[in-house]
Amino acid sequence: MKVTIPIGPQHPALKEPISIRLSIDGEIITGADLRLGYNHRGIEKLAETKNYTQNIYLVERICGICSHSHTTCYVQGVEKLMGLEVPKRGLYIRTLIAELERVHSHLLWLGVAGHEAGFDTFFMYTWRDREVVMDMLEIISGNRVHYAMNTFGGVRRDITDMQKKKMLDLLDLLRKRTAYYLSIGSTEPTFVARITGVGKLPPEKAVSLCAVGPVLRASGIPRDVRKDDPYAAYADVPFDVCTFDTCDVLARVVVRVRELVESYRIIEYLLLNLPAGEISVKAPRKVPAGEVVSRYEAPRGENIHFIKSNDTDKPERLKVRAPTLANYPATLEMLKNSFIADVPLIFAAIDPCICCAERMVELNSRGGAREVVSMSQLRKMADAFYKKAGLKKKAGTWPL
Amino acid sequence: MNEQSLMEEMQKALGTKVAEAASAGPRRIFVRVEPGDLFATVKYLRDRFNFTHLSTITGVDRTDAFELLYHLANENCILTVRTRISRTEPVIPSLTPVIPGAVLYEREIQDMFGIKVEGIPDSRPLLWSDDWPEGNYPLRKDWTFERRPENIPGEGQ
Amino acid sequence: MKKIIQWSRIKSPWILHLNSGACNACDIEVVATLMPRFDVERFGILLKATPRHADVIVCTGPVTRQMKKRIIRIYEQTPEPKFVVAVGACAMSGCVYRGAYNVEGGIDQVIPVNAYVPGCPPRPDAIIDGVVKLLKSLETKPAGRKEKKKDE
Repeated sequence: MKVTIPIGPQHPALKEPISIRLSIDGEIITGADLRLGYNHRGIEKLAETKNYTQNIYLVERICGICSHSHTTCYVQGVEKLMGLEVPKRGLYIRTLIAELERVHSHLLWLGVAGHEAGFDTFFMYTWRDREVVMDMLEIISGNRVHYAMNTFGGVRRDITDMQKKKMLDLLDLLRKRTAYYLSIGSTEPTFVARITGVGKLPPEKAVSLCAVGPVLRASGIPRDVRKDDPYAAYADVPFDVCTFDTCDVLARVVVRVRELVESYRIIEYLLLNLPAGEISVKAPRKVPAGEVVSRYEAPRGENIHFIKSNDTDKPERLKVRAPTLANYPATLEMLKNSFIADVPLIFAAIDPCICCAERMVELNSRGGAREVVSMSQLRKMADAFYKKAGLKKKAGTWPL
Repeated sequence: MNEQSLMEEMQKALGTKVAEAASAGPRRIFVRVEPGDLFATVKYLRDRFNFTHLSTITGVDRTDAFELLYHLANENCILTVRTRISRTEPVIPSLTPVIPGAVLYEREIQDMFGIKVEGIPDSRPLLWSDDWPEGNYPLRKDWTFERRPENIPGEGQ
Repeated sequence: MKKIIQWSRIKSPWILHLNSGACNACDIEVVATLMPRFDVERFGILLKATPRHADVIVCTGPVTRQMKKRIIRIYEQTPEPKFVVAVGACAMSGCVYRGAYNVEGGIDQVIPVNAYVPGCPPRPDAIIDGVVKLLKSLETKPAGRKEKKKDE
């Protein structure tokens, strides 16, 4: 029976245009395929017609959730071409915003994962606390998303002592709330049972299919651009790379929650050790000819920009590869041999940012019959399936 | 293992295959090969230095030729392998036997530049809409398009 | 009878959220209106998953070539009377993407729009304000106002 899932609201949170086609044999998925194109806006071509400063704003709007990651990656690369040395204070502020963005993205994702696993209260709680992070970002930059803090040579706005104190207070509040979430897993067995053993991705496959980010780290492989290729202030800040080795959705949740806790530590370190000094240096208008590869650890994985300049004020070539595109082949692998009921959860577990990448999943099944099912119907089917099945006999344990 | 020693060892092992190699700063190496030697070079790098991760494939239209840059990464540095192919008959062998995760990036350069990738397991277009006209490769420097006239509601009233 | 239907439509509109190639910032802000801080659900505004139940279509994002037909199809599936709110600068005119080869422009190039909410992205308060202004304008107009459809 060929099941076709058309475009339509997919996530409750992020209704991005996705089309999924699954091939199934009974309840099990036998094959998957990809088709992209709904979100393709032609940014790389457009970037060649705008000058470098206008491109900062264009690149920021590749994605609304990880906007700072795209601007920082781009600005870092161009600064290398210009030969600029950013002052320490500017680097610290950049890193601070990067970590706040990581916190906000992981909280958003935790809520979505809760919703997909049938746990709506969790969804509401995490998004309420996300507002605290948006407040912190608004204190520094003036906007809840698209902070526009980067400029060539440093950052645009400074942090006053009063702002610093307010942020430390809000950070305490966030820590208390996150401690509560950590304890939820151990007191809510249906949640853990639902996500254990789902969407397995063995480590060799994760490496050969070039997965990135928490998906890779959830298969036990400790690769993190912040440690492998330090940029901004990460060389100064002590932190650990978080991995877990059960290779399923539970591992992905655990990795992200651990990263949340690490991010709080990093933010506290940055705020308490913020060096004095300038926040930016002056940048030239024309960029000397050259090529640069710039990498960044976005909340979803490795973000890579390649910039080629030709001694004018417009780039010759800008290439962007956002992290979710790299995780697609791994997703197809995960979907094979899973139940249909797990599709929304597996798909949500890679933390898809479709505007960054665009995707479609197509599956083909034996038999040839076609059926059109929407994602929200799938979710209802999933809830009903698990209610009927009761608690899985061999549920994993919550490791935190 | 720092960049200098990596480059020396690589040049010793691959000999004439490597046309030029340069380090553009800490953790960045650029290497140039001919299209025919690309596969062997990447296989050697993967097996010897653990460059298993292909970050992406960039295509650049230098008006006399196409240049393809393969960005490989391991725990210590990024090595970019570049190769030039002809603009009039752009053909390159696929890397999927060595790095299966390369398939999406190869589909993308097929769409954007019109480069034919030989041996690719899945050659459908990646980014085009259903009504995209054939033969249009946007990232080529000589590709232009007509912008549709905009219809502003309320104008003329 | 018409008055009661009109009143219920104004007091508790059901919303369909349509994303046509946006960067997600506007979408997060639209969903944030349902979250505990702004919480429009207490006013009766419900987010629905299918166009057949919706009164108001909230659109974000510039129209990409691939999404054009889908937007028109979803608009046609929504029963009359329907209202379209274009949220964000992208939906109004294309924002930074104007001139890109795969982008048509704002939503009003494809379907008729009743209200525009500017911003990049607009705050949730601004989105709520836009929807409320649209509803207030309905109170003063007679029920069953038809919009001329654009041919494409």
